[in-house]
Amino acid sequence: MQEFQLLAQLVLPGLTTGCVYALIALGFVLCFNVSGVVNMAQGEYVMLGGVLGAWMVIVGVPLAVALIAATAAGAILGIVQERLTLAPVRRSPAFIQITVTLGVAVILRGIALIIFGKDPLAMPGFSGDGGFAMLGAMLPVQALWVWGTTALMLLGIFWFLQYTDAGRAVRACSINLVAARLMGVNAERMTMMVFALAGGTGALAGAVITPIVLDSWDAGFVCSLKGFIGAILGGLRSPIIAVVGGLGVGIAESLAAGYVSSGWKDAIVYGLLLAFLLIRGGVFLSGRVGLVAGTSDR
Amino acid sequence: MKQSLAAHKTTISVVAFIVLVALYPLVFSGSYLVGIGITAGALAAGAVGFVLLLGYAHQLAVGQAGFCMVGGYSSAILCVHYGWDPFLALLFGVALSMLVAYPIAAPILKLRGYVLVMGSLAFQLILVVAAFELHFTGGALGTYGVPRFAILGWTMGSDWLYFYFVWACVLVTIAIGLNIDRSRIGRALKAIAVSENTAGSVGIDTVRYKVQMFVISAGMASLSGSLFVHFLRAMDPTVFGFAFSLNLVIAVIIGGLMSIWGGAVGATIVTALREGLRGLALPMWESVIMGGLTVFVLVVFQRGVAGNLSVWFDRWAGRQAKGAVSVVAPAGVELPRVDIEQGATVLEVKNVSRSFGSLRAVRDVSFTVEAGSITALIGPNGAGKTTLFNLIGGYQPLNEGAISFVGKRIDELIPNQIAELGIGRTFQNLQLFDNMTVLENVMCGRHRLHETGIVSISANLAAARKEEQESREAALRCLEFVGLRGAESLPATELSFGHMRLVEVARALAMRPSVLLMDEPASGLNDTETEQLAELILQISALGITILLVEHDMRLVMGLADKVVVMHHGQKIADGPPDQVRADRDVIAAYLGTEAHETAA
Repeated sequence: MQEFQLLAQLVLPGLTTGCVYALIALGFVLCFNVSGVVNMAQGEYVMLGGVLGAWMVIVGVPLAVALIAATAAGAILGIVQERLTLAPVRRSPAFIQITVTLGVAVILRGIALIIFGKDPLAMPGFSGDGGFAMLGAMLPVQALWVWGTTALMLLGIFWFLQYTDAGRAVRACSINLVAARLMGVNAERMTMMVFALAGGTGALAGAVITPIVLDSWDAGFVCSLKGFIGAILGGLRSPIIAVVGGLGVGIAESLAAGYVSSGWKDAIVYGLLLAFLLIRGGVFLSGRVGLVAGTSDR
Repeated sequence: MKQSLAAHKTTISVVAFIVLVALYPLVFSGSYLVGIGITAGALAAGAVGFVLLLGYAHQLAVGQAGFCMVGGYSSAILCVHYGWDPFLALLFGVALSMLVAYPIAAPILKLRGYVLVMGSLAFQLILVVAAFELHFTGGALGTYGVPRFAILGWTMGSDWLYFYFVWACVLVTIAIGLNIDRSRIGRALKAIAVSENTAGSVGIDTVRYKVQMFVISAGMASLSGSLFVHFLRAMDPTVFGFAFSLNLVIAVIIGGLMSIWGGAVGATIVTALREGLRGLALPMWESVIMGGLTVFVLVVFQRGVAGNLSVWFDRWAGRQAKGAVSVVAPAGVELPRVDIEQGATVLEVKNVSRSFGSLRAVRDVSFTVEAGSITALIGPNGAGKTTLFNLIGGYQPLNEGAISFVGKRIDELIPNQIAELGIGRTFQNLQLFDNMTVLENVMCGRHRLHETGIVSISANLAAARKEEQESREAALRCLEFVGLRGAESLPATELSFGHMRLVEVARALAMRPSVLLMDEPASGLNDTETEQLAELILQISALGITILLVEHDMRLVMGLADKVVVMHHGQKIADGPPDQVRADRDVIAAYLGTEAHETAA
């Protein structure tokens, strides 16, 4: 029984951070399928949402306003990133485009550092800092907020993809970009839309998780890497596998911390990523062709 | 005067480099400023390696800074705990990094683009965690008390001396980089960057040189790590973390990722900028400014500072002057003849089939090509000619059948292996390397004939220089043969379409092929050019080179070919001398579309 309790005490918090990774992974998949770019700045939106939300609550802005503002900031920055930095290099080689997103990640970190300072920011829980018991594990009440918000966002995104014209267009782009454009899908607009979506959901996720994990300017990159692990499990193709993968990464790192050591937990997760990539290596040989079709090599 | 300056650009750069480095400690005295110089130099050593990896091999292995850790810890641990001589410890670190890099390079570089970024970062972050957790690294506290740098017992007592040593190391890395840049390996990497397919067509192995760049840049990263540690006099897990990786990338981007000098220039700019911001009490702005510069450079001028300096210099010195090409007509230049028994079967296509989904592009096609002959493959659009050509060249796998070259199966080989055997090709849509001059394009064709390896090229040994010279002369002869003498130093993209096609032919001839595959060589040419091309094809044939061409232009085919193979709807419908094929009912039906078409189908 005690073992089960320990397991629950590890899995449930893992699931909570996993929610954030899942949303990042989903952002990766959406942006990649429509624009052909893996956005290395994905995790920075989570970081920004967190510090922005925390900072606003600290200076006395009502919680709801802070959350909406953080989400809007993420969405707007997503569009700005796409328009200013990615649209101009669409015809450049892939490694240039990736480097550009890396540069944007550095800028976003820098902005957070300047505005919010070096120290991690804490945020009070949305409904107090109390805890509750579940399956024998003690969890902060905020975990419910994280689960609930994530579930709502996921439902919203999947509903959008499945039942709206714009969502169908996004899916069409991810199946065959050229054909989608020939059918009149405005790929430029779709690209902006997914960047806004990824930025906004990431920022909201960041704001919701901050009461549990604190947040500081340099937290974004690790989020990107872990979200990426979730996304790559589905070959950056499947939104569902990306979400499940993101949750899995959260649980795996929590288990690694609990059963091995908290120091090695990151190394274990990254080691699993490396092993997975090296074993599946060849599968990724044929990269996705972006908005501008290049010469296709064998 | 200007012209001769332009010819010695590298010499001028090296002299400028040495003068600047020599003067720095004299102008900027004081230990703080000398220290900044050392930091910049240590970063530069790693950045030059990163240029080779990112700019030349196009591999964004951001985690390369992991090898800085290998070097840094080697130096720190060996010197502090085992009393090694710092210079030997540095060499040990470099060797260890390269030894580690070699076996992991091929699997890591199988990952492409974004996957490589993440995979290599995972590697680096695992090293960081290990450095924190393991005992022998000193854990989070790190290893302290690293001695001043010394070479075999001779200690560098002052920071000045160490400054000069660090920059001497940078000069060594630059020299290695420049030697690679102007060698066949540099050309091979530039070729791969343009198109892996085309690079393969001249026998360039697309994996090998990336692996070599990965290993060399690992060595340079390790050097950089060791140099840093002897300046910091301590090593801990945070020194070469993610932030350092970013620094390295940013330095290379700002400096210019397509230029060897870019690493050194970028490292200097990045270091100066950071210290400047610190001086202005704005250290918080570093990240925003560096990131902003990176994005700005990539969006606005991808060549970076060093690349643009080079372009401005060329323009100022008038090197790129667009002179009219004085194309000389083929003047009976002799190229070496091919030794192959005339009349024997060189190429045999046997029962070959290839489908794309439900479309059977090539169905059970068989024919042979005899040595010394000119064989033409013709057929209406969509007959499967180009597919068949790509199957022979190894660009696509076959579904069924066999292709043999002088009796050996080649259908399992990939393009560069087929080119290795001496099968050259030209492409229907021109495939020149647009980042090189005409001569360099043709020299790429010599790739398979080279023997000197990466070591003698890096050190610019006599053997490598001699081979390069031979290669240059042979390529010039090929250019002369096709009638393009005089155009050698122009960028390949500045020629007319017809001349570009001739460059492609010259590049294939430089391979000294025994078989030349030509995919619609006359497409896009006017009548005069087509006539000249026919003349050239006959001259090539006279060298004993077997020619297989796909062509639409009937006059060309009927005038040149010894044998014509006709395809229609993926199948061979006729095969024989031109006159016989011309009279064939099926062929007439396929081209003119009578009812015979329907009965045949």
